[in-house]
Amino acid sequence: MADVQSGKGGIDDQIANEIMPVVLNRTLCNVEADEYFMGIKGELNQIDRIVSDAVNNLVSNFRYISELTKSHHEMVLAIERMAAPDSSKPIIELLGKQMIIADKIEQELEMAVTSLQFGDLVAQLLAHTSHQVEVLNIELQRIDQQGNWEHGKKNLIAIHEEISRVVDVANAKSKRKPVVQQGMQMGDIELF
Amino acid sequence: MAKTILAVDDSASIRQMVAFTLKGAGYEVIQAVDGQDALDKANTHKVNLVLTDINMPRMDGLQLLELLRQLSHYKTIPILMLTTESGNEIKAKGRAAGATGWLVKPFDPKRLLEVIGKVIG
Repeated sequence: MADVQSGKGGIDDQIANEIMPVVLNRTLCNVEADEYFMGIKGELNQIDRIVSDAVNNLVSNFRYISELTKSHHEMVLAIERMAAPDSSKPIIELLGKQMIIADKIEQELEMAVTSLQFGDLVAQLLAHTSHQVEVLNIELQRIDQQGNWEHGKKNLIAIHEEISRVVDVANAKSKRKPVVQQGMQMGDIELF
Repeated sequence: MAKTILAVDDSASIRQMVAFTLKGAGYEVIQAVDGQDALDKANTHKVNLVLTDINMPRMDGLQLLELLRQLSHYKTIPILMLTTESGNEIKAKGRAAGATGWLVKPFDPKRLLEVIGKVIG
């Protein structure tokens, strides 16, 4: 009986002294890892919000500038029509310059149409990265739960092997990268 | 009478840039936020061309393409894919599903209008 009690006491001691610290440490590691991954996802969301906000403002500014340019262009044409009967050379010259400026503004606006599409590319890349982080977190938690921690610490080689396997699994579970563009140059066009 | 283009993209900025470009060239533009929304609008409007993104929530552009091609009115209507995707595999899927052409974002307004002019006649 004493032996049994002693034995029981021995198991309790072992739990208290050896297993619990490992389990507690593992739980703490899980919480820390989870918080770390949540932090990354939070920052990615923050970037997404800031970029979206900036794009919305830029698009709004762009549309306003575009409307103002159209009004300005129409005004120049109206002045040109009024000035034409007098054939006032200085006025005609000035209006000619105005037309050149209007054309240049139009060209710049067209270029801005291409550049303003960056928000969509960035949003897709952020969503892709966020998904990758999530998959990695899930896989790391899975091997942590499957790990044979109760029987002591794993050796370094085994840990490295598991991490490599997790990265492989995370890679395999990652979705196809939706954006391969490295800049904002116009994309290819193909008619079938 | 102005021709009508259905522009489908979950990105508001892309929809606005497409609409700005097409309206400036005299087209009527109907906007849809995803494949499902586009399918609903395609059923209730007479559309001359569809310009659609691929990666969208609820219904993606390839699913939309397949479903549109099953509708009698959309069997021969040009459907252009406007996407960040440029891989051969996905392009082949689009082609097999009946896409008329493939435009990789970001688009240039002049080139977009050239292509649309070519396919819409």
